[in-house]
Amino acid sequence: MANDSRTRTTRTALAALAALAAGSLALTACTGTDSDPGPGPGGKDAAVQQKAVPLGDEAASRGPAPEVPGASGGGTVRVHQDADYDHLDPAQIYTADGGLIASLYTRQLTTYTTDEKGRKVLVGDLATDSGTPSDGGRTWTFTLKDGIRFEDGTPITSADVRHTIERMYAPFVTDGPSYVQQWLSGDGTDYRKALPDGPYEGDHLPDDVLETPDGKTVVLHFRSPQPDAPFALAMPAYGVVPKAKDTREKYDAAPLSAGPYRIASFKPGRSMELVRNKHWDADTDPYRHQYVDGFDITFNHSDEDSTKRLLADTGEAETALSFTNGVDPLQTRKALGDPDARERLVQGYQPYVWQMNMNMDRIKDKRVRDAITHALPNRRILTLNGGAYAGEVAGGLLAPTVPGHEKDFDPYGKLAEPDGDPQRARKLLKQAGKEGMRLVYAYSNDEIRQRQSVVVADALEKAGFDVQRKELDAGTWYSQLRKVDNGYDIYMTSWAQDWPSASTVIPPLFDGTQIQDGASNYSHVDDEHVNSEIRRIGAITDPVKATKEWSRLHRYIVEEINPAAPISYTRQIQLHGSRIGGARYSDTLNYIDPTRLYVVKG
Amino acid sequence: MLRFLVRRTLGAAAVLLLISAFTFFLFFSIPQDPALLACGKNCTADAVALIHRNLGLDDPVPLQYAAFMTGIVTGREFAAGPCPAPCFGYSFANDRPVFETLADRFPTTASLTVGGAVVFLAVGLGAGMIAAARRGTATDKVVSSVSLVLSSMQIYFLGPVVLGVLVYGTGLLPSPSYVPLTEDPAGWFTGLLIPWCVMAVIFTANYTRMARSTLIEQLQEDHVRTARAKGMPGRTVFFRYAWRGSLIPIVTIFGMDLGSLFGGAMITEFTFGLAGLGRLAVDSVIDIDLPMIMGVMLFSSALILLCNIVVDAAYALIDPRVRLDAGSSA
Repeated sequence: MANDSRTRTTRTALAALAALAAGSLALTACTGTDSDPGPGPGGKDAAVQQKAVPLGDEAASRGPAPEVPGASGGGTVRVHQDADYDHLDPAQIYTADGGLIASLYTRQLTTYTTDEKGRKVLVGDLATDSGTPSDGGRTWTFTLKDGIRFEDGTPITSADVRHTIERMYAPFVTDGPSYVQQWLSGDGTDYRKALPDGPYEGDHLPDDVLETPDGKTVVLHFRSPQPDAPFALAMPAYGVVPKAKDTREKYDAAPLSAGPYRIASFKPGRSMELVRNKHWDADTDPYRHQYVDGFDITFNHSDEDSTKRLLADTGEAETALSFTNGVDPLQTRKALGDPDARERLVQGYQPYVWQMNMNMDRIKDKRVRDAITHALPNRRILTLNGGAYAGEVAGGLLAPTVPGHEKDFDPYGKLAEPDGDPQRARKLLKQAGKEGMRLVYAYSNDEIRQRQSVVVADALEKAGFDVQRKELDAGTWYSQLRKVDNGYDIYMTSWAQDWPSASTVIPPLFDGTQIQDGASNYSHVDDEHVNSEIRRIGAITDPVKATKEWSRLHRYIVEEINPAAPISYTRQIQLHGSRIGGARYSDTLNYIDPTRLYVVKG
Repeated sequence: MLRFLVRRTLGAAAVLLLISAFTFFLFFSIPQDPALLACGKNCTADAVALIHRNLGLDDPVPLQYAAFMTGIVTGREFAAGPCPAPCFGYSFANDRPVFETLADRFPTTASLTVGGAVVFLAVGLGAGMIAAARRGTATDKVVSSVSLVLSSMQIYFLGPVVLGVLVYGTGLLPSPSYVPLTEDPAGWFTGLLIPWCVMAVIFTANYTRMARSTLIEQLQEDHVRTARAKGMPGRTVFFRYAWRGSLIPIVTIFGMDLGSLFGGAMITEFTFGLAGLGRLAVDSVIDIDLPMIMGVMLFSSALILLCNIVVDAAYALIDPRVRLDAGSSA
């Protein structure tokens, strides 16, 4: 989901990504502390994001997208990227950089629109609206729009949508998300048994699972009510793949476009050229534009390199930007201090929340977990992660991008005491009768984590713990933690939502029925109330009500259980050339939104 | 000569076989699992097993090795379709044919290497000759000390400095990039000019010092003194006698440098954001991408071995005393 300091995008969508994401921002911390993080969406934007994202009707799903003020057509945008895309086949995309590029060449049944005031709505993309539930939310029906075509001019039909979903059962599709497949056919990897070869050997899902009564209608019959279905289907992985032109594994190198741009050339590790897709019809698309003629993408540009070029803003750099490189932390101050560059900054929250997981199989006393939480020096940890501009101290475990996030929620006083409160921690530890308790603290041998481990261990020692640092190999870090019997007391991880709902945060992290090797309940929370609430809230079909309930459950988890100490929320800052227009941060893509860019006539 | 070439080629093949086996088995001895990088958010044991099957990591390692090596010669059949010889398989990381990627990266590395070599040989040997010819003078001292300073420079220091001044600062030159020579010769030249010059600065120093010292040595040899005593013009003595004699060590070092540069100038490529074999090698290791690691290793090793053979063959041309086929007339 982001580039790490080794200059390479990691492939996995594992939360490892998240780890690397925040880490990517810096090797050396920015010296800034509390200063104003500059222009752009800040707290105000987050307030908007706290509300549930509403489901759009047919009118909201109609194209064309409202004009971007001042936009004009023509010109080519140069894009400096750190690393190449590991996947172009939508089914395999689960990373933010992949999702961003996919937004230009693929379309799903649903997508999001965001108006000029930052209000986000889930709308129909290929479908005429965000879907019609029936049977208590078990069945979802989508109708396809007229005039939607692939880049070769063939119309997109319900058979293509069926194929898109069925091919995700094929054994070669392993990187993408599996929400929809699991909801349709079985938990874990059991769903694969329903269609072991995907659709390639002539087998299909039965009509009582996936039904396409005519060329325009797609009906999904889930095993249980799935109020979030339209959100899941908006993920880039559910981007439509043409049945007639599917080349299985090889599709990954050359996917067909359904969006405003098509891939004209792709040289792995070197460059990619996107040009206009003449078969894309703006009137069918409520979200994307096609202002620029194309995008000239080159890879192997570090954050340092892309920032320098964009700060200089000379020649080609005037019409350049980076889709996913952030501003190099060492140059952030320069960018903020230069009035000209300041105008060209785009920033917003990313969905990652850093947390110090406390292994509840080993630390059973809540007072000890509270002591750890109070002791941790959040601000110092954050500073090592990339400075004040790379995020902010977290009070809870729901990111500002998740509906239900509460800005002032801070039960452990981390906002008031961002450097930790060793006295309070010591007192709690004494109450628990655990002074001098041994804590096995695992961290990965990534440079940033190593440096963080020093301040973490130091703070915990001050609070009266006997810290045993355990350095793990970065490559196998998450797989080691994901063993239930991992043998460690505390370890820092991060998590990101898959769509704007706590339903993709709380269940994967805190569902006690899901504790198994390889799963993501890192703290091994197994609480009856939490488990039953997860079932109950998961079935609520009204998103506003669900958001309220998730928020309440979040409070309970943090206040009453405290399985993971909140560390920080993540932010992204990006820079663009002076002749790039329409640049805006997207909290769906977690980076600058490429679909509304235009080139200012020079 | 023919017998020499046959012998060396067979030797090289044996070395490549050893390298391939070593790399392959070393890969399986590290505690890394490539499946974990292709496993999505819910990386359960089932999911890992499925990916192992997809990647062909289920078979015993010797079988996998045999399949890989025969694939290079005969081609292989994959689920995704046939992979014609020379088949290095498909990348674990992005499912693209390894050989295609190697072929795509090689021209960048070759351009970087050949262009850089032209610059550092011309400047390095020229400066060395001047220093040797004017031994002991101020010119010699300046050349020698400048080369000493430059040889202690590093690309990762000098590169960013040059970029800062010439690209970001003054905008005199475009950012380094690679466009194929056949597509845009001017763009190829300007895009690689900075990397060539920076590489040259670092390598030049070695050649200057070497050319100077071997020339000085040669100039004191008996045959040179004799030629001079017989009244041969200074220039002829210098180039025909002394220079030719000093070529052997220079060619030896050049052959080694060229080989390793062809194999991938990692630091240069990273410094200037160029995608050649060096970057590919590093990326493939980070990605735990076995077919790509094998491909780069074998390709680079083959280039180094080839350069060595060419250098050894060149000895015979430079120095008539060298007979490559012992006991026979070359």
